[in-house]
Amino acid sequence: MSELKYVGKSFKRKDGPDKVTGKAVYTQDVKLPNTLIGRVLRSPHAHARIVRIDTSRAKALPGVKAVITVEDTKGIKHGFVETPRYPPDQEVLARGKVVHVGEEIAAVAAVDQITAQKALGLIDIEWEILPAVFEPEDAMKPDAPQIHPSHPKAPGKHSNIGGSTETQWGDVEQGFAESDYVREDRFECQLRTHGYLEPHATLAHWESDKLNVWTSSMGVFVKRAKLAKVLDLPFSSVRIHKTYVGGTFGGKIDLYSHEYCASRLSMITGRPVQITASREEIFSAFRHAQPLILEIKTGVKKDGTIVAQRIRAINNAGAFRGSGVVVIFLAWGFTMIPYRIPNLKYEGLSVYTNHTVRAPQRGHGAPKVRFAIESQMDMIAEALGIDPITIRMRNAREPGEELPNGDNTHRGGLAACVELAAEKSDFLAKVGRNLNSPVKGSIRRGIGIGASAYMGGTLIYPNGSGVIVKMNDDGSAIVLTGAIDIGQGSETVISQIVAEELSIGMDDIKIISADTDVTPQDIGAWISGNTYVTGNAARQAAGNAREKLLQVAAEKMDVPVEHLLCRDKVVYHRLNPEVKMTYREIIAASIATHRGDTIIGEGFWRTMRDEPTHPSLATTKGRWTENYAFSAQVAEVEVDIETGEARLVKALTVHDCGFPINPALVKGQIDGQISMALGHAFMEEVLTKDGYTLNPNWLDYRMPTIHNMAISEDADVITEQYRVGQSYRTKEVGEGLISGILAAMGNAVYDATGVRLYSTPFSAEKILAGLRALEYAQKNAKPGDKVRA
Amino acid sequence: MANATSDAAARPKSGTRLISLCVNGEWREVAVRPRNMLIEVIRDSIGLTGSTASCESGTCGACTVLVEGRPVLGCITLAVECDGKQIETVEGLAEGEKLSDIQEAFLDQGAVQCGFCTPGMLMSATALLRRNPKPNRQEINKALEGNLCRCTGYNAIVDAVLQVSGQDGVKPVMK
Repeated sequence: MSELKYVGKSFKRKDGPDKVTGKAVYTQDVKLPNTLIGRVLRSPHAHARIVRIDTSRAKALPGVKAVITVEDTKGIKHGFVETPRYPPDQEVLARGKVVHVGEEIAAVAAVDQITAQKALGLIDIEWEILPAVFEPEDAMKPDAPQIHPSHPKAPGKHSNIGGSTETQWGDVEQGFAESDYVREDRFECQLRTHGYLEPHATLAHWESDKLNVWTSSMGVFVKRAKLAKVLDLPFSSVRIHKTYVGGTFGGKIDLYSHEYCASRLSMITGRPVQITASREEIFSAFRHAQPLILEIKTGVKKDGTIVAQRIRAINNAGAFRGSGVVVIFLAWGFTMIPYRIPNLKYEGLSVYTNHTVRAPQRGHGAPKVRFAIESQMDMIAEALGIDPITIRMRNAREPGEELPNGDNTHRGGLAACVELAAEKSDFLAKVGRNLNSPVKGSIRRGIGIGASAYMGGTLIYPNGSGVIVKMNDDGSAIVLTGAIDIGQGSETVISQIVAEELSIGMDDIKIISADTDVTPQDIGAWISGNTYVTGNAARQAAGNAREKLLQVAAEKMDVPVEHLLCRDKVVYHRLNPEVKMTYREIIAASIATHRGDTIIGEGFWRTMRDEPTHPSLATTKGRWTENYAFSAQVAEVEVDIETGEARLVKALTVHDCGFPINPALVKGQIDGQISMALGHAFMEEVLTKDGYTLNPNWLDYRMPTIHNMAISEDADVITEQYRVGQSYRTKEVGEGLISGILAAMGNAVYDATGVRLYSTPFSAEKILAGLRALEYAQKNAKPGDKVRA
Repeated sequence: MANATSDAAARPKSGTRLISLCVNGEWREVAVRPRNMLIEVIRDSIGLTGSTASCESGTCGACTVLVEGRPVLGCITLAVECDGKQIETVEGLAEGEKLSDIQEAFLDQGAVQCGFCTPGMLMSATALLRRNPKPNRQEINKALEGNLCRCTGYNAIVDAVLQVSGQDGVKPVMK
């Protein structure tokens, strides 16, 4: 069994045939007879008091079967975070006031879409408009309109503070005093959206005291827990069914109001209720990512060694707490992993504004944090006359290093990634080349690097995954897993692990997944832990089934278990392969001679069993993960200095993904992240004015098309092995690789043009403005001044 | 709530038309209102849910189907305009259990992740390969420029088209 047959190989997707033939069932494809169409009434105001709400005209409209407002709910609040410090803060429908455009006020179920839409227009509301605030630094001012009271434990006397994270080690002021070079910069990131193609959709059917729900999500067990809670139902009365999910990227976790509304409307009418969000609704009212402001002061020695860093992160968190208080915690984490920082002071503030609520987005803050830090790193290197590779190697954390919160980097290798990235891209030969070569035409080429690290399988509800492997009489297997395949390939990866551990074929395995009534609990596809956490549970479950098979075989063959081995659904005597039993024979023997036992294996996995819960969002105390994945990425860009337009030409990703269970799926994750990152860098921005979205469609919110794609190369620095029967430490690869490349693109634009950009996106306007400023500086330069062009 | 008598007022106004569509080689008669889009009729009336609906405004290409062999956006094409026409959807690409070459190539190249853009992408690629069996990269990009994919970053999709057309030595990466 030393040679691996299934893991480490690029097997085709298990769900592939269904997805290329149109048979894959997404939520919108589930059709139930007698279904009503639901629609949600959303706030037209950013901040307003609801003086009076009257639904009688809507209810009287023929074809309308139910109308609900907050009065029809149990008034139970929910939140992305629900802890003693951050109790649930959001009702499922607005009560008394609205705090952002698009906030859910009421919902209607009617016989068809047009009637439902018409009914929304018949709901009469008397408003008292309140002053609104949209920029976090405005919202923090003492005289700013109050959206919610500041958190009682928030530092300072700011208004609208939803939460804060503060941590420090060493003595940062003394560190700056001991530094040879100190600089302070401010970086900002735009509002971006996830851009999943499948719209949010939910079908709910209350039948025989049971709520059946199909909904586009990133984890069915989280959905069940939150939905059951706000409906005040036992978990056993709520079943989330499996559907395929057409992309999420962070935007389909947490409870969404329409999921509650569809459920409640079905409970009232006794009929299935379906709600699908329009694309405009998703752009205007649903959750986007978190625009962060980062102020960074860094002190270094002459050789580039970091001595001290002070970071302040301000999050424009939208109108409820959402994941805003998480991202300011994570921003600390993404600061402290890649490089050693002996003295650090970190402050993160999550500030309420009258924007839509925020969700995680692939990387959950890491792209913004790494863009800021890696940009400043290059500025420091230039000031000190060091190259970008040397300064990173000098500060990169080593394998086996203990982090300030007690985490360990284990075998993670940032230095190996940086080294290989530099070598493969011929970085040092290319950097600065444009600056030093004669100018030809209007195209400038530049190269840049960025480094990052990401965690996997962090503790958060439901904290662990279980898998059950049921052997069939013929030696094939049914695998029950709560993991949801959102495109990342969880069903394929889990099948490969089970096939390897049980020595059965990929086609012998059928997966039953993501159904809260049928499958064991699962952490879900949103903390980069499926391959690690659910994968190890699958390994254990298959191993458990294998042990049972071997036990029966040992009895029947009268051979000690340790003398047996499994190969292709047959158990052999190691020394005498003539002595053997097929799985079919073993299972028949097990049923005949035991209690009728078929063979069922079970496995469970949870990270950091010695940690009671996730680390403190407020103080960062507590461990975070047991498997950090490091990466270094190189971008080569072209900038047209006449138009200011920049594009990514080539990306190189060197990552440390632990052990690639399926290398082609890993590559798919990398390419997808490169595409997302270049959207972040050059194209995408949700534009708002007074809380209204100005570009609520894909014509005006430009996502990368096939024309924008760059060459994407990759190499892995594998730092963990896979051995059958032993637990392994795969690492995340699905969201940590937007960060380094985003930073690399910023650094490459600088290398091409001399224009340093402090905010994303790197739009043509900003680049042109930068070029003009350089020209101006050049014209007015005195002899001896250093000016780039 | 409105009672049974008043529900009579909710009776659909006339204007419904009976049209016939030949979908994947099978003639179907369906009653449509003038405002119904082709994608609604294919998904809801005919019940072929393989074609996906995503943006309702002709910006993402997910709902691409072939009408008389040409790729058309189902979400901005009126169903009545398609009366009497040949429609092809993703369900018609395979012959029984046998996938078409482009379907196989999508699997071979890892050109499918969440799968939501896949039906539209396959239809655009199918139309391209029929009129141009050996498209170069530029032609592939042009043909697929209206189909958004948020998962794959497109390179695997281009490789799938190159693999089918036997170009650039592109071989399957998945087994």
